[in-house]
Order: sequence, then structure tokens, then C-alpha cells
Amino acid sequence: MRIITFTASLATALALAGCTDSTRGEPSEAQRGDGSDTVELAEFPDRPYWGDTHLHTDVSVDAFGFGVRLGPEAALQFARGEEVTATTGMSAQLDRPLDFLVIADHSDAMGATRRLYDAPRMMVRDPVLRRWYDMMHESPEQSTRAVGELITAAANDEIPEAFRDPERQAEATRELWDRHLDILDRYNEPGTFTAFAGFEWTLMPDGNNLHRVVMFRDGSAKTREVLPYPGLNGDVTGLWDYMDAYEEATGGQVLAIPHNSNLSNGMMFELTGPDGGAMSAQYARRRAAREPVVEATQIKGDSETHPFLSPNDEFAGFGVAGWDLGNLPLTRRSTPDMYAGSYVRSALLRGLTLEEQLGVNPYAFGLIGSTDSHTALATGDEDNFFGKHTGNEPKAERAMRPQNLGTRQGRFGWHYLAGGYAAAWARGNTRAEIFDAFMRREVYATTGPRMVLRLFAGHDFSKDDWDGDWVRAGYTRGVPMGGELQDTGRAPTFLISALKDPEGANLDRVQVVKGWVDASGTAQEQVYDVAWSAREMDGASESPVPRVGDTVDRLEATYENSIGAPELRATWTDPDYRRGQRAFYYVRVIEIPTPSWVLFDAKRFGLKLPANVVEANVIQERAYSSPVWLRPEPKPRKTPGDAPPIMSEG
Amino acid sequence: MMRKWLRDPLAHFLIAGAAIWGVISLTGGEVDPEARTISLSREQQAGLALAFERTMGRAPTDAELDARIAQWVREEVLYREALRLGLDEGDPVVKRRLATKMDDLASAQAELAQPSEEDLRAWYRENASGYESSGLIDFEQAYFPTRGAALAARGEGRPRGQPISLPRNVSGMSDREVGQLFGSEFAEGLSRLETSPEWQGPVQSGYGWHLVRVSNREDGNVPPFEEVREKVERDWRSRTIAARREAAYEVLRDAYTVEVE
Repeated sequence: MRIITFTASLATALALAGCTDSTRGEPSEAQRGDGSDTVELAEFPDRPYWGDTHLHTDVSVDAFGFGVRLGPEAALQFARGEEVTATTGMSAQLDRPLDFLVIADHSDAMGATRRLYDAPRMMVRDPVLRRWYDMMHESPEQSTRAVGELITAAANDEIPEAFRDPERQAEATRELWDRHLDILDRYNEPGTFTAFAGFEWTLMPDGNNLHRVVMFRDGSAKTREVLPYPGLNGDVTGLWDYMDAYEEATGGQVLAIPHNSNLSNGMMFELTGPDGGAMSAQYARRRAAREPVVEATQIKGDSETHPFLSPNDEFAGFGVAGWDLGNLPLTRRSTPDMYAGSYVRSALLRGLTLEEQLGVNPYAFGLIGSTDSHTALATGDEDNFFGKHTGNEPKAERAMRPQNLGTRQGRFGWHYLAGGYAAAWARGNTRAEIFDAFMRREVYATTGPRMVLRLFAGHDFSKDDWDGDWVRAGYTRGVPMGGELQDTGRAPTFLISALKDPEGANLDRVQVVKGWVDASGTAQEQVYDVAWSAREMDGASESPVPRVGDTVDRLEATYENSIGAPELRATWTDPDYRRGQRAFYYVRVIEIPTPSWVLFDAKRFGLKLPANVVEANVIQERAYSSPVWLRPEPKPRKTPGDAPPIMSEG
Repeated sequence: MMRKWLRDPLAHFLIAGAAIWGVISLTGGEVDPEARTISLSREQQAGLALAFERTMGRAPTDAELDARIAQWVREEVLYREALRLGLDEGDPVVKRRLATKMDDLASAQAELAQPSEEDLRAWYRENASGYESSGLIDFEQAYFPTRGAALAARGEGRPRGQPISLPRNVSGMSDREVGQLFGSEFAEGLSRLETSPEWQGPVQSGYGWHLVRVSNREDGNVPPFEEVREKVERDWRSRTIAARREAAYEVLRDAYTVEVE
């Protein structure tokens, strides 16, 4: 069933597909490498660098079908702050440029929809492909529907063979990848903007989302040695084998970022191995090494936690509605017993439990946000939302329209979040520095606003540290976010500073989320309010902390910074510390209420929204730090003469 | 046997084709006799071989080249027959495809064109502001949550301000970085202050109010062409492609009178 028999015309189609990219003109040595020794580095990470690790362009099989006609070059120009024309004709620009970008086009059938679209119709013989071909050419609505069918087919393992014929695909991917790497180098400018090579690996058994973004540290000299690894079949250890092979062959480095665990029906963070049997220590070790960071928030919902899992957490419901109904294409419904494997807080807890059994924690990951935009436009701000894909770029009907990838009901435009960003604490803006920040998990997630969040954990911090150079104190006498603190028998103390986004809303409160395994072996969680802005109790709050209030004008989509604080600081010591307890701590920063993109749309297009939709779109945006882990003291060895154990677990 | 033959779609196709062709012939529709000869030159064959080599990384065998040629001929025959039958007319796919090709023709020239040194320099001159490096500034700031508190502190010799996680002393920071750190409002306010040993302000930021002492300022400058040549060429190419496309369209568009009722 070979449908596109056009090897000869393939080259032509590809040449045409790429015709708007400029691939000539040589980038400099510094631009082509990993950026080492190209810029002066700060002594300690001195500022967060902002980026999106999850952006699709017209190379992605689904993004093209959804209608996007902007390629990687436009995506890079946009991320760097330049004005571009969106596919639907509107001019688009970021309020503030990003510092780095990972273009993560799907590795499966890379460029295939574009080639299908460009192919002569008579050469498309497979009836299913021909149907999609006609739909793609008929209208944007039909094109979107075709992609819905494509994703469902992928989820059900019914993709027409020719779409994934590895040999044909490899030829096509080679050309795309080579050209892509050239463009990345050209836009990669150490010190100003970092362009990472990457792709999305799209494993999706039964439609349950196990997707990963794969991100390379290196320039084209190394990344050219491989092709993006296809993912529709197989399991995740195949991806790790690929990553091992890359590092071995090139001496480079690569990491993987799981995302949309909220659409995995409990499969992203299982207690078992991928085959359903007990998880092996080797699997846990590989996972921890290969996947140091998880994307916790993006357009398709927020994966921090679910109210079912965290009933005592009054801020647990953010970005959950609609997405918790089922898997990615809504071919299978979710049930509450699945949630623990779908959200990151419960996964961090599972990691502690598994570590007790295996000696290694497979889920000791840091947290970032990103967009997963399929428009080639990395927009994260509520007042500048260009949609999940080109089918919902700004227009009046997008907020209330059903957005089902599959055929069932339940998800609407207003369930989309505007998208998050990743912040990386690095010493400079280069591939090497930012990648290394990801590896040591010194990164954090936001739902879009650019709050500056510092977190240090140590044993001897005090309030007085704020009077001096507390950042230096943090790095020299403690560990930053993402780090591990050895238990010494004293309760850990945290220095936490959250500075608002200078262009955005004030802060409501700062919280510490602690997870631990108690003496009976049960995983526990607790949210502590550690700093807040409101002074007056209004009697309405369930927590001992007063509510911050609400200044949002629903009709005008505005708010006032008359409530909240520009910065919140805390010196916090764990009041429930127990010696020998295995625990993690991460910080959640909550902004005052603000209007979401849906209210901006309502104002702009004069929409009348149902009251429940309006209220659901007065939101409190947030940041999640990567955790700090408290590790039990190493148990003394029985045999004398052994080297003193520094860390009992690998 | 006869019935089976009658049900065969291919037979239907051939009969219908013959009938249409017959009608066209009888009604004097022109069929170029030359179009009945398909010839494939040596150069074209070499082109097919080259296309094969480009995708597969090796030259084709004789059998593979023969297959390629047969496929080429097949496509050509069907293509000519399709044209003869007028199948290209009114087909939205063909229409869009051809329109795209016209667009691509214009941009492909820009893609291949090697800009002359002069072109690039001219582009650089016209868009110089885009290559201007940011100005650098040294200043000291003291933060106050309200304007009133800031005004009250102006009399102090060296105002202390309130604690906030922003640098007290800033040196050699670009305008862009100032904007990222303190917000655009502050960056703008700062640009209006004099370099002076005196404390000035208050200047508003996204956080509150600041008294500021600007100790040094270096203006931004446009680096010499040689330093930004790569960037200029990258920008020239990406913008020229879009501009050529539009220009080519304008030329064609001007030859039409469009009436939208």
C-alpha cells in the first residue's frame, strides 16, 4: 500500500517546501558550537533566562495540517522579538523577546503533511490519505478535521503505512533536519539568543500521551550525525538507547522532557516498569539521568496536581478542567485512580516511595513550563494569545468552540491556557549554560508571567542573610532549586524570594509544597503558606491566610495592582521535620487574580460569555520551582575500611 | 464475459475518454500533433539520475534508471491526456498549486541570489537602527513602595530605601537588560535622567518608586558593517524573499481590473 510514489518529485516538493528559508551564508564558529568560551560568565547564575522548549512549526505533521504556514525561520525571528505575520494574516510580536527556544517538531512523519499537501493529487493513491489530502485543500476547517483524524489514527495505530515508511521518511527527514540545523545556527547568538536543536518524540499508546521533547546541547557539527528519532511505535527505553548512542558517537549531550502527563491516563509516572512488571533499578536510573526536567504547564492544561489528589490544596484546580476528562484524543476517559500517574506532585511522591524500594528515584525531576504552540509563535501572555494551533488564532468564535481532537465532547476553546514559559538560572546565555541548568534542574515553570524566583536550602540560613549578599550565601552555604540537601539531623531552612513580573500583576502569596514518606511508608503532602501580601481577614478564607481580594473588571479585562505585593520573601524552616525522613520541597508563587485570554477575547470581539466561563477565566497565575530533595543520612557501613559513603544511592 | 467487461471501471474510463476526445476532435478542438511525441533528452535523463542520487546517496543502477524513466513517461502521458481533457480547469487543487508555484518563482530568485557587497551595505545603511547596540548605563537606585516615601527620602544624603531583590548598584547594563529587570516604565524614566552625582527621581517601575543616581552612560552605536555582515545577509535574504514575492504579485496584479460585487 505505497501511496506516494514520487521519489523523483520528492526532491522537488522538498525544495519548494523549504523555499522560504534562507539557508545560505555561513554562521560563525561561535554560533555553530555549544557556546563554551564565547561569552563572559557570571560567578553564579545571576538571572533567569526565559524560553520556550516546545514550539511547533510547519514541519510538524499536525501543525501543518492545522494550517500553519510559518516555518522554523519565522519562529526564530518571532522568539527573538521581531514582528512576523501570522498564518492568518495578523501581525504578531512578543512584548518582550525570549532568551532561548527549542523548536520541537514531531519526529514522526516530519514534513509529511507538507509533502502530502504538495504532492500531485493523482499520486496519492491511499484512500485515507487522499481523503485527508482533499480535506486539507478544501478549507481550514476541513484541514483541522483531517488532523483530528490523523491524531486519532496515530493513537489507534492506524496510520497509513506510507506515512511512516521508515526508508522514505529517513530521506525526507535528512534534508529537513540538515536545513533546520543550519537555520538554528544562524539564529543562535551566544550572549543574546540561544537556538537549541530538538524534536518531539510522540509515543502515544492507545492515545495516552507519553510525549517527550528531546533537546540537544550541541551545535550542528554533532547534531548532524543523527536524525530525529521516530516514536509512534516502541517504548521509552528505545528513546534512551538513541540518546545513549548519540552521546557515545559524538561526545555531545541530550536530554528529554516529558509533557502533558495530564493526558496520559496515569501512564506517564507509573509505579511499574513499561512492560507492567516491577520497575527495575536500572530503568529508574536511566529515567532519572535522561529526563531531569518535566514540563508541568502548557496550553493543553496544567499538570501540577489535581483536586482529587490534593483535596486540602485550595489552589489545586488550575488548568485542570476539560483536560482531566481523558487522554489526548479523548478516545479513552480518565478515572480518578489514574490521576496519581498523571500529575507531577504525585509523581514526585511516587519517586520517594520507589527510591526506598530501588535505591534510586526515577522521578526526581525539575519543573518548567512551555507553550506547545503549533502556530510557530511562542506566545505565553494572556493578552497576546495566538492559539494552540492556526485553527484557533484570534477570532470571535474560538473561545466557545468545541476543541476535540477526537470525536467526543467535553473540551472547549476556553479550556486552553495561554501557555507557559521555562526559566533557567544560568551564568550566561549559551547552549551549554542553559542546557546545564536543565541538567542540574536549576529551572522553574511559570504559567506565562516572568516572576523572578530564587530558592536556596541549607542548614544555617537565618533572617540576617537578607541583609548581606544572600545570593552568594545561598550558593556557598546551601543548594539552589533542583539541588539535593543531605540530612544532618537539623531541620532545613529555606531562603525564598519571589519578585513579581515588572510588567505584570502583584503577588498574592508564596507557598512551600512538601512531600514526604512517613514512618509507615505512606506518601504525604502538605502546602505551607510562607509569605503573603494580604493583611485583613475577611472570614471567607479556609486557610489561616487572608484572601488577597479581586480587582478584575470582567468586561474590560483589566485589573489593579492595588492589592498584592511586588516582592515576597521568606526565611522558612520546616516545622514538621523528622530526622531520616525522605522529602522534597518546592515553591509555588501565586499572583493576584487577573483576566485570562478568554476575557481579553470577549472584550476584543464583544462576546457574551456564560457566567461560569467568565468566572473560570479570572485566574491566579503562578510559578513552580524545581524541588529541593532532602536525602537521608547515609547508613553507616558494617565493614570497617570501606570508603566513606558520600551518597548511598546512585 | 461481456457483462464483467461492462462493469470494469477502467473500461468506463477509456470509453468516456475516447468519447470526450472524439467530441473535442469533431468540434475542432485542437490537438497539437507534436504533443503526440514524447522525447526525453540526455540532459533530462541525467537530471533523473541526479535526483535519485540526491535522495539515496548513490547513483542509480541501469534498472533503477529505467524504472525512473518509465515512471517519468507515464506521468508525462497521463499529464498530457489530462490537459487534453481539460482536467486542469476549474480544479481548486491545481489552481492553488499553480498560484503557490508563481509565488515560489519570485522568492526562489531571492533565495539563490548572492547579494552584492553593495546591496548588503545599502541594506545595512537603511536598517542601521536594527543593528545598533544598546546603550550602557551605570547607576545606583533606592527602592520605595510608594511615591510619598520616595519623595520624603530625597532629602537624605544617600537614601537607603526598602529591601527588594533588585541590584542596588548597576554597572554597564544595557537598556534592554534594564527593561527586563526593572520593567519598561523604569527604563523609559531612566533614559530621561541626567548623568549627575545628585540623586534624582522618583522614577516609577513595575515594583514601585526609585530614587536614582546615574554615574555614567555610554550611548549605543551602530557597529561597523564588517562586524555584522552575517546578520545583515541573513536579514536581507529573509526580508528580500517576502518583498520579491509581493513585488512580483503587484506587477501581475496591476495588469488586471478586479471587480468585487
